[in-house]
Amino acid sequence: MPKKVTIFTTNTCGYCQMVKKYLGAKGVGYEEVNLDLFPHRQAEALSLSGALTVPVTVVTKHDDSQEVIVGYNLAKLAPAVA
Amino acid sequence: MSDDVQAVPVHDVITVGAGPAALTAAIYTTREDIETLLFERGVIGGLAAVTDKIDNYPGFFEGIEGLTLADNLQKQAERFGAVIEFGEVTALRDEGEFKVLETTSGTMKARAVLIATGSDYKKIGVPGELEFYGRGVHYCATCDGAFYRDKTLVVVGGGNSAIQEAMFLTRFTTHIDLLVRSTIKASDVLQQDLQKYVDDGKITVHLGVATDEIVGENNSVTKVLATKTETGEKLEFTPDGVFVFVGLLPNSQFLKDTPIELDEVGLVLSNEDLQTNMPGVFVAGDIRSGATMQVASAVGEGATAALKIREYLEDRKHPVQN
Repeated sequence: MPKKVTIFTTNTCGYCQMVKKYLGAKGVGYEEVNLDLFPHRQAEALSLSGALTVPVTVVTKHDDSQEVIVGYNLAKLAPAVA
Repeated sequence: MSDDVQAVPVHDVITVGAGPAALTAAIYTTREDIETLLFERGVIGGLAAVTDKIDNYPGFFEGIEGLTLADNLQKQAERFGAVIEFGEVTALRDEGEFKVLETTSGTMKARAVLIATGSDYKKIGVPGELEFYGRGVHYCATCDGAFYRDKTLVVVGGGNSAIQEAMFLTRFTTHIDLLVRSTIKASDVLQQDLQKYVDDGKITVHLGVATDEIVGENNSVTKVLATKTETGEKLEFTPDGVFVFVGLLPNSQFLKDTPIELDEVGLVLSNEDLQTNMPGVFVAGDIRSGATMQVASAVGEGATAALKIREYLEDRKHPVQN
């Protein structure tokens, strides 16, 4: 289980809902940053992921290393939060 | 799971995909106690789930959000016992009574399989498109439209998705240039809706315009180069971003090394029972050759496929004696 998970989302993004559903089903807690509500954090999402797109999921491990997953990519998301 | 053969999980039915066709099939099968596992590699609800609003799905007179419809279908299927698993099917082969599926969760067997993998959006295939993906080039309006509040966009495409998503994007943008390679192929109703946005100055439609290149610098798109197909005149647009909706690409790559027959564009061929040339393997929804690419049609095909799967399973339980 990771130390912390942050998801950057927008209101209407279906893939964001899927990431949240997946984490919920696996019992992984997360912080959500809704970029519709907090547009000033767009630059942060862009700098973390290199792409202005959502969802962006930032998984912080116990050694404080970070894995950034762009989109709803289960092949990367599942092992990152296991 | 109904039994166990050589430690490989065996299911009555496995659907490859969990879009509207598969979810509907699962509602029908599980309601009749036919155990059903849905395997989804992407989004439950498929492309419908990431569509802002579905206006032509019967029973919702004001339209319904794609995500809400997908959520409702999922809940309905799960109410009857359908199980959805996230992962990808990589291969499928016929072992007579059982179909063997190689998946990211291991090998599985099913008495019947429904292929309902749908389609994904195509790329244009022009320079700059991949380079600026997520940095000005996007394929999901509901995901990324919010980043273009009070900005200008180019939308490429002239089908239902392009028109629908362009209209959705006007809630954020100040103006959209819609680049259509030939003519608009969207439904009459959508074209009438589009006209209102054109009249309001929110969208300008450019017919007969081919997109040549997406140019950018410093992590953002700066211009889109295009050509008028009839005259060869070169055009230049200077949007803040580009959204692409130029058709669909069938999700049938996992079938390429199987005997299952595909048509020339990669859609799965079937008979009138929606059964493929591999007995016990059925197909429904956008991935079926001849499909009309409508959510309502996919749902209808899902129901038909479920009934045909039931007949198939019954025939094997109680074979006709000659």
